Amino acid sequence: MSSYRIMVIDDEKIVGDMAKLSLEQEGYSVETFLNAEPALSRLKEEKFDVVVTDLKMKGIDGMEVLRTVKKLYPDTKVIMITAFANLDAAIAALRAEVHDFFPKPVKIKELKESINRALSKA
Amino acid sequence: MSKLTGHLKSIFAPSKREKEGLSFELLFQRFRDVLDNNNRAIEIITDMGEKFGGDYLFDITYVKRAYSELSVALQNCLQSFDLLTRGGYPQLHGVLRRIDDQIKRTVYDTRETGMMVVPYEDITWDKYHEVGGKNANLSELKNHLGIEVPEAFVITTSAFDELLRFNGIDKKLQTLGEALDEGVLGELRESISNAKIPPPIGDALGEALEKIRSRCGDTCFLAVRSSAEEEDGDFSFAGQFRTELNVPSEERAVEDAYRRVLASMFSGKSVAYMGKIGVDLKRMKMAVGCMVMIDAASSGVVYSADPGGEEDTLTINAAWGLGESVVEGLTDADLFVIKKAALPEIANKRTGAKKSMIARLGEGGTKRIDTPGDLSAELSLTDEQAIGLALTAILIERHFRKPQDIEWAIDRDERVFILQSRPLKIAEHEEAAAGKAPAATSERVLTKIGGTVVQKGAGAGRVFILRQMDDLNSFPRGAILVARNDSSDFIRIMPYVSAIITDTGTPTSHMAALCREFRVPTLVNAGKATQVLRHGQDVTVYADDDGTMTVYDGIARELLEQAGADSRRMENVYEFRKKRYILRYIIPLNLVDPLLDNFTAEACKTAHDVLRFIHEKSVAELVESARDGGAILKKHAAIKLRLPIPTGIMVIDIGGGLDLSPGRDSADFERISSLPLKAIVGGMMHPGVWRSEAVSLRANDFLTSMLRATDIVSDSRSFIENNVAVVSREYMNLSLRFGYHFNLIDCYCSGNTRNNHIYFRFMGGATDISKRTRRVQFIEAVLKEYGFKIKTKGDLIIARIAALPQEEIQELLDSLGRLIAYTRQLDAVMHDDASVERYTRNFLNGTYEA
Repeated sequence: MSSYRIMVIDDEKIVGDMAKLSLEQEGYSVETFLNAEPALSRLKEEKFDVVVTDLKMKGIDGMEVLRTVKKLYPDTKVIMITAFANLDAAIAALRAEVHDFFPKPVKIKELKESINRALSKA
Repeated sequence: MSKLTGHLKSIFAPSKREKEGLSFELLFQRFRDVLDNNNRAIEIITDMGEKFGGDYLFDITYVKRAYSELSVALQNCLQSFDLLTRGGYPQLHGVLRRIDDQIKRTVYDTRETGMMVVPYEDITWDKYHEVGGKNANLSELKNHLGIEVPEAFVITTSAFDELLRFNGIDKKLQTLGEALDEGVLGELRESISNAKIPPPIGDALGEALEKIRSRCGDTCFLAVRSSAEEEDGDFSFAGQFRTELNVPSEERAVEDAYRRVLASMFSGKSVAYMGKIGVDLKRMKMAVGCMVMIDAASSGVVYSADPGGEEDTLTINAAWGLGESVVEGLTDADLFVIKKAALPEIANKRTGAKKSMIARLGEGGTKRIDTPGDLSAELSLTDEQAIGLALTAILIERHFRKPQDIEWAIDRDERVFILQSRPLKIAEHEEAAAGKAPAATSERVLTKIGGTVVQKGAGAGRVFILRQMDDLNSFPRGAILVARNDSSDFIRIMPYVSAIITDTGTPTSHMAALCREFRVPTLVNAGKATQVLRHGQDVTVYADDDGTMTVYDGIARELLEQAGADSRRMENVYEFRKKRYILRYIIPLNLVDPLLDNFTAEACKTAHDVLRFIHEKSVAELVESARDGGAILKKHAAIKLRLPIPTGIMVIDIGGGLDLSPGRDSADFERISSLPLKAIVGGMMHPGVWRSEAVSLRANDFLTSMLRATDIVSDSRSFIENNVAVVSREYMNLSLRFGYHFNLIDCYCSGNTRNNHIYFRFMGGATDISKRTRRVQFIEAVLKEYGFKIKTKGDLIIARIAALPQEEIQELLDSLGRLIAYTRQLDAVMHDDASVERYTRNFLNGTYEA
């Protein structure tokens, strides 16, 4: 069984809870955070293979999470999800080397596939 | 004027609205606006059903957006409906506002607090907090699954707060130290036992009791039980608090019982339990349920799964009298072990000694007595009752998606009641990786059916091929329904059908929404499923994301478990369950049959109901508006239809109904471009169905017709001049009058299945009532065979069918055309009752000789 580590950051509990449940079924080890500060401190302690983060959050937002992750661990993949999808945000994220970008609601199956792709490239 | 003529006039007289003079074009345009808005709303509902199904990550932003889109769509729909009916249903505004408020409250999580007493039927998600987990679960069973639960109400946690405040106990609680010795607890119990009931609680309680007494009689008794506030239902609190049985339904007695139950919160045992599970006594609140006692002949407990971890058997414990003897393990109860399946089977049963039983005392309270000798050796439950209970338990387990510990009772009239249901703690065992299409199963693949997957998942059971809607009455619980068309009638079996497959159908139908709500694996638009699958065969089906349904031979248990694990787990996410709850106010359909009396605006409880109501009443509006051919003819240029048969139909084309060059005042069959008109006239012209020879009348018919002063065999002008068809390319409203026979057909036959309908009304005849009745029976039998919903009253038939694909509507119209032509004079020759069956058979076989 794979023990890839996945971090999910979203300021709504339902997103983290549902993602955790679905991804654990795939055999991943999942940690969830409701905001970015504690998530980033956790990242400084330990590396995660994939970080799934909401774009728009109070305090540190998803773009900053993306940049920090890339600085800390260039090979960690970041998947961005957002309820307010727009092209500018997507382009900015792409420039910062986002692995994937999903508008919410996100089909869980597609998220899983995206994570699998991220990990097979790693 | 004779009674009959008066009746006819009232049915066919011009409506008030016609006199107001709205052109039919405008009316029809408005009708189409209603349909468009209706469809928009249904699309949003479909999307919500899908996104809330557990396959998507969504957040509150989506929920709010979806809600506001739906809200706008519903408002638009109502507005266009108002225009169409000229404000004919003002009460619908209030109904929609109420539903909208409920949805909004759930979306924005604003709770209605402060109610002291809530009857079960009024418990909704926003009140779960205040009624406690036990009551919340039971009210779910009653309100959502339609399971029989005794009359009950809850004294809420707000009442609890109020009582503590009113008597100063809240302050005592807050100053408690860490050490809660028996002395401190005893004082608290004492304060509660002596507490005064604050007037708001007393008043609300009095009112609730009065209602209970009015429904169940002055001498009914109550069971008064605790229901602790436990948002997640994580802790069972089973047996921790006091329960008062057989409490007289009068204020003083219930208040005393209420105080005793509350006081039990401060017993050493409960405080220790709360300490163990980390619940803070100072913050603990208790709601108390008051439920009418069932005069139980027998009662007991069902475990919907084996607590040892086996999920495919359930056990029932049963004993005579009240259930406490079983719950408390006071007697050696009867035991049934039942194999869970589409049709559950009793695997094992054992008669317990049942030496004692709990009986109710006439003046209140209960007593443990010796079981009368002849009873103790007898099973306290019949096999049939055991199977029935098993099915209910499976239904409840499926609803809560967790094995359940269920208390039940059967009263002296053999009515089965559920008294309690809570999660059963079972041994955890590693579940297979879920959510993937189950690849490894030993069962043989019978076939793979393509179509549109409405709800993915697995189901198993016996194939039930539905030939006629009436057969639904004999649908076995747990079977797989295979039908030609989808239908909202299936709501009746929704809680216990294992899967649904229909040859036609769309993912946005009423039925599809229900399948998602009940998570019934469903495939629609499946082509020839009714021919591919065999009635009575045991199969397991798996509907996958890729739009196919795989059919396995036999019951594939591991496959079911794998597929079930996924959704069961998502239900464990509290936030998910809570968000999903708004669907309660959106998807369920309470208005099923438009021909029933309860099809009213007031009966609408969900957005779906409102949309359904609006659609049906819009059709009715068209039917009514078009029925006075004469009045319409005066306002519109009419084209005479030239057909080989003398129908005398005048056509009013409101758009694309005829293909004519300007200035023409008549049209041949070939010039009809209205799909429904072409289909029905085509049917009427079918060789052999239009009998033009005079039918010989018998003496009493002759007399009847004399009294009615008309020539019934005549096709003469005076009786056909009002035959009017208002048509567009996809719409037709046709009024046909042949002698004393009246036919009215209203039909929309478009590329959008959801919009389509046929409304057919037939009445009259000049022969005596027994012959006319026979003809009605004949028409009814034929229409039933075609799948129409039918209502008859004397010699009036109203039949309707809806949401069928265009081609199918056309085929039905062709058949209707033949039927109308064929029955023109049929009553005159239907001399005996046997002729009904003979003519039905002949007609359906395509034999039109008399």
